[in-house]
Amino acid sequence: MIVRDGLRVKPASGLRGGLSRRAFFAGAAAAFTSAAIRVPEAYAKDLTFKHAFGESVLPRPAERVVSLGFTSHDTLLALGTPPVATRYWFGNHPYGVWPWAQPYLGDTKPDMLIGEVSIERVAAQEPDLIVAIGSGISEAEYQVLSQIAPVLMHDAADITYGTPWDAMTLTLGRALGKSAEAETLVAGVREKFAAVRRRHPDWAGKTGVAGYHWGGETGAFIGADTRARFLSELGFQPTSKVAELSSPSEFYARLSPEDLSPLDADVLIWISSFDKVPDLVDLPMRKTLRAHQEGREVFAGSLLAAGMSFGSVLSLPFVLEELETEITAAIDGRTETQVPTATRAGLAP
Amino acid sequence: MKNWLLLFGLLAVSVAVSLFVGVRSISPADVWQMIVDFDPTDPAHVTIASIRIPRTVVGLICGGALGAAGMTMQALTRNPLADPGVLGINAGAAFAVTLGALLSGRADAGFLTVLAFPGAAIASFAVFALGGGFRGNASPVRMTLAGAALSALLVSLVTAIVLMRGLSLEVVRFWVVGSLAEANARPILAMSIAVLAGAIAVLSIAPKLEALSLGDALSRGLGTNPLRVQAGSLFAVTLLTGAAVALAGPIAFLGLMVPPIARRLVGASLRPGLLAAALLGASILLLADIAGRLVFAPAEIRAGVMTALIGGPVFVLIARRLSPGTVG
Repeated sequence: MIVRDGLRVKPASGLRGGLSRRAFFAGAAAAFTSAAIRVPEAYAKDLTFKHAFGESVLPRPAERVVSLGFTSHDTLLALGTPPVATRYWFGNHPYGVWPWAQPYLGDTKPDMLIGEVSIERVAAQEPDLIVAIGSGISEAEYQVLSQIAPVLMHDAADITYGTPWDAMTLTLGRALGKSAEAETLVAGVREKFAAVRRRHPDWAGKTGVAGYHWGGETGAFIGADTRARFLSELGFQPTSKVAELSSPSEFYARLSPEDLSPLDADVLIWISSFDKVPDLVDLPMRKTLRAHQEGREVFAGSLLAAGMSFGSVLSLPFVLEELETEITAAIDGRTETQVPTATRAGLAP
Repeated sequence: MKNWLLLFGLLAVSVAVSLFVGVRSISPADVWQMIVDFDPTDPAHVTIASIRIPRTVVGLICGGALGAAGMTMQALTRNPLADPGVLGINAGAAFAVTLGALLSGRADAGFLTVLAFPGAAIASFAVFALGGGFRGNASPVRMTLAGAALSALLVSLVTAIVLMRGLSLEVVRFWVVGSLAEANARPILAMSIAVLAGAIAVLSIAPKLEALSLGDALSRGLGTNPLRVQAGSLFAVTLLTGAAVALAGPIAFLGLMVPPIARRLVGASLRPGLLAAALLGASILLLADIAGRLVFAPAEIRAGVMTALIGGPVFVLIARRLSPGTVG
């Protein structure tokens, strides 16, 4: 039920609120009726959110926000509304807030929720909005949480953990009454991607894959995954074999240890939550890849890998800044130009 | 004699299939090429040298060790349900390794595998004591219950450590359900020596262990010290199981299903029974691993899952036929 250490899967969550069955149904009934509460006309349209579990309406822009998504606190922080509670994903950082987002925290000391969502602790915060985009909560949990405050879920068209960073930013901006700020933020990050693409027109159409090797298993991130999406936003395409493996409902594809050729891209980024990876360095099949022999590997260790895994409006600029020179050194296909991260990790040919 | 041929033949077939069947097709010509002119950039050569051969070797060692360990435990406890997995010894080894990972902060360091031995030793001692082994009134049911309880406790402790530390599931899955997939990264040579030592130990005390099965009083009459034989057997089982866990993680039910078949093929005598159990254990583990490689290719099913799939029904079958005090 838990974690590929920040690499892909997020813990499934369950209800551990100690609610009786009767309280549950009473609550569910209340949730249905509360949707009918009158809201001021001016906000009604702006503050109605359609999502995978139905529709939530905010009476007014939110101020006390509980962030249950594993990465949504980044977006709230970027929008200047630090959440009153955050959800711990992985890593060892206060309140589950990683370095790229720490400066936005100010004096706020959010309650950090670990593991399954405790309804009682959410209620104790008396929030006026619960952000559960990318939280993995069930529809039953959604119903109970909706008694506490309006709950935002991922879009019906997206998969649970597949909400793109820009959509997340715009949605939360709207919920906080900060749509203009959200648009500015999104435009700023898009411009950063565009600037990188302008500086490297040769990247367009090249192949790029984010791979992992963990506990003896090797695989690639695919489709709507934040790491795969990051590469496509830079103009890269997956290799044809990775494209074949891609399915809309999966984040990653496991590969046979006997055939790692799907990873053989013009640039191969290894995602790891450790900074030292003896098992990847010693992986004999890796040495058969052209990507290895031509020095096309980039190593994303703990901080960079987390930044790519968060794929948030705050982590992406950080990752872009760190990775641009790395990818440049890798994609030329010459071993003389060293890729610093790969050399440090001992991956370089 | 015919049955011995069958056992060796099965093993030879398993080894050949394990070497030649997989996601990548390998021809005998590739193998020859690899032997005369190894090219570390040729995926076929790398597949044979660093995936198929280590996997097969680990399958042979672990399967053999677990088959012999199961045979020994069943003889020692006079319990046809005895098995390093059922009795919680696998779990003990896995727990010790996970605890080591917790304390050292590293999940993948090779030295941690050594911890499998004290883990297996403590668990086997505990289950033998809890099951009444030292008071001489160990019933199969009592010992199986003690093992099941111990196993459940240790596995939940492993899970607790995983959750506490936020260790990646993949790292720890290895210590919950075994697999041959990481063979290349395992200390094969050192563990082979441990298995060899365990095998010699159990073969040398086999006749005394058989005498023990006549009952304490009778065995004393034959000049056997029950406690010493029991201690020696537990020592051998610890070596065999600890090494198998260090190489492949806990492989369930192998030590349970192999001995009854082995006894049927070569008779009830313990020494030939041990050899037959080792041969059969190795064959079954290799075949389980091959099946796991192919069923959902390119993704793999762990060998430990496959043996559990086969072994679970065998466990039920034996348990249903069980009458106290008889073996197999």
